[in-house]
Amino acid sequence: MDFSLTEEQLMFKEQVIKFARKEIVPRVQEHDLRSEFDFESWRKLGEFGLLGLHFPEELGGGGSDVMTAVVASEALGEAGVDGGLTLSLGAHTYLCADTIFAHGTDEQRKRYIPKLASGEWIGCMGLTEPGAGSDVASLRTRAMRQGDSWVLNGTKMFITNGPIADVAVVYARTGQSAAGQEGISAFIVEKGTPGFAVGRKLVKMGVRTSPTSELIFEDCVIPVENLLGQEGAGFFMAMRTVEWDRSALLAPFVGGLGYIIERCCRYAQERHQFGRPIASFQAIRHKIADVKICQEAARSLIYRIAWCKDQGRPLNHLEAAVAKLFVGDWSLKPMNDAMVLFGGYGYCHEYDVERIFRDSRIAPIGGGTSDIQKVLISRLM
Amino acid sequence: MYFDWTAEELALKQSVAALLTQDAATELGLLDEAELWQLKRITSRYLKALSGLGYLEIALGPAERGQLMRLIAGQEELAKASGSLFLATETTARIFGGLLAGFGDRSRIGDILEAVTHGEVIAGVAVTESEEDAAEPGLTTAGVRDGKEWVVSGRKDYVTNAPIADWIAVVGIAEGRPAAFLVEPPQAGATVGPRMRTLGFNGLAVARLELDSVRVPNDLVIGPFADEAALEYLGAMQDLILALAAVGLQFRTTAEAKRHALTHRRDGKDVFRYQEVRFKLAEMLTWAQTSQLLTFRAAWLYATGDPEARTVIHCAKVFCAEGAEQVTSMGMQVLAGRGYLSGNPVEQAYRDAKLTGIAGTTSERARMAIAGDLLKRYQV
Repeated sequence: MDFSLTEEQLMFKEQVIKFARKEIVPRVQEHDLRSEFDFESWRKLGEFGLLGLHFPEELGGGGSDVMTAVVASEALGEAGVDGGLTLSLGAHTYLCADTIFAHGTDEQRKRYIPKLASGEWIGCMGLTEPGAGSDVASLRTRAMRQGDSWVLNGTKMFITNGPIADVAVVYARTGQSAAGQEGISAFIVEKGTPGFAVGRKLVKMGVRTSPTSELIFEDCVIPVENLLGQEGAGFFMAMRTVEWDRSALLAPFVGGLGYIIERCCRYAQERHQFGRPIASFQAIRHKIADVKICQEAARSLIYRIAWCKDQGRPLNHLEAAVAKLFVGDWSLKPMNDAMVLFGGYGYCHEYDVERIFRDSRIAPIGGGTSDIQKVLISRLM
Repeated sequence: MYFDWTAEELALKQSVAALLTQDAATELGLLDEAELWQLKRITSRYLKALSGLGYLEIALGPAERGQLMRLIAGQEELAKASGSLFLATETTARIFGGLLAGFGDRSRIGDILEAVTHGEVIAGVAVTESEEDAAEPGLTTAGVRDGKEWVVSGRKDYVTNAPIADWIAVVGIAEGRPAAFLVEPPQAGATVGPRMRTLGFNGLAVARLELDSVRVPNDLVIGPFADEAALEYLGAMQDLILALAAVGLQFRTTAEAKRHALTHRRDGKDVFRYQEVRFKLAEMLTWAQTSQLLTFRAAWLYATGDPEARTVIHCAKVFCAEGAEQVTSMGMQVLAGRGYLSGNPVEQAYRDAKLTGIAGTTSERARMAIAGDLLKRYQV
């Protein structure tokens, strides 16, 4: 076994942290308070190459391996980038663009990947529905073949980047069965397509800079060539995104724990109570230690998923569920402890631990709830 | 990065696993009830067998820590099979043997080390002293030079393997600095107390050691140490070993709880079909896998001399120990009444788990050390 990152990966991580601290972090709090997507930061992420790191250079990507992409996501969290922006990045790059890259035709790749990798276009993925969340196989959105077109009807729910997306990868049922994994296909739908509308923007507890909405399809007609991959292979394409979800999308949470550690350490030395810095109190030190323990425990779990993907191994769903459950559930207490460490300030917007606490609450919910992970683990163990 | 075992690591893992057959598991399951003479016989036999695999000579002392990852796969197998045998073995090899290999430079010590690696001796290291002996922090056990010998007096508590040990390294003060005096009980003045009755790890022999003017020849003294390296080595290895013991408890309990849930019925259906039981099993496995990976990484950091290694070892120690308590508690809940019966592997693991948070660096001290390291790094 060997847990080392390469020199290049370590250097790149430092570069990403430096870049994010300078260009993005100063803008985070303002956008979070206004629940606004930060287009300026998005543009900078694109310029730095972080929106398409693992795509080939000829398609505008960085040509990196999966591990480097995961390390970069971790670095954004460690720098203090908010969970909203990293969630938008994850949905854009890994759930939307990578699905097009992995399953699309050459034409589809050439049309979409360069624009998505640069950030010129924003992507989203439409899978969840009002009645089909963790139970993906029961989705109801339908696509009917009519001549050279597909006609989509249905509603998607909780779609990250929905209100700002230029292109969406949408899953719909094309087979005869009303439920089940078979007969689900994936389609590329561009903004402005007649019959495609963005529903109400959802007001959320956390990850507020990442806009979330419904996507509504009412007799939405798309060309036949917008089918992504094989007809009926949509469920397996959606499942493939799990590899990214359990690595690159979890990585900012792990990095965020590192950011919290630094914030807590500095605050605990500056804040005095009873005539001494609160860092001298045992209970405060224990809280700091618990954040570190959680971060160290989580890190290797997500690296392992990334490493397996780089090795070309099929996803180990048990290990993936363990990683998701751990990061989702186990990180809540240290995040809560960090907020308590800051006392009244921690409860106020003035200090970013309040936002980080809110942002962290999505981890056991998004991308498959913790309960679903437990179902999976107990089934696979 | 490489998350698999190499061929060499896998070979040791498989050979240790092959040693721990079903018959061995039955015998090791009885360790909890064994008398001292039985304990000595069984422990000696396994040390001899492990020696045949080369297990006892790997990663002894800080200079050899680069071999740690070769060893750890085998260590985990042993820890899963029997926590008591694992701790007895590791105390003999990595703690006692590591101290001799890393810091002993006299030929007679080399002979003892050879006996350790050949599985011919059982050994312990005596560090802890009872609180009533210490008015101030620090060791009260001390040796005074007398010609070619040292005269050592003091009292040590909780000495693992002491009742069955052929050799015990007693850590004390020599000329103002720490040193280790090798004592061969029952030599004159060295009295091993009665075997301590403990909550868990009942297959481990632990006792107090009293030293009343014990004469130790100069060639059986390691040190005095010029710096803290020896004590740091002992601390790091002990914490890693205890973390691994906790990982072993977690996996053993999870497997046993799963087996129970699949083979027992309640109200007309398999216990496993109850969602609450399945969720418990899922949490248990999550604890176990995460603990395992964290401990491997901590060991790897130590093996590669990473400056953050000690911090992460502390993290692993706390996480695995607390995970062991959680997992064994959940496991007992899954087994319900059966789990509460003495002699049940889960009941045994439930009792064993407590030690992993107490022995070595306690969870409280480990947390203080972790925070101390971080506060230094982010000093204002």
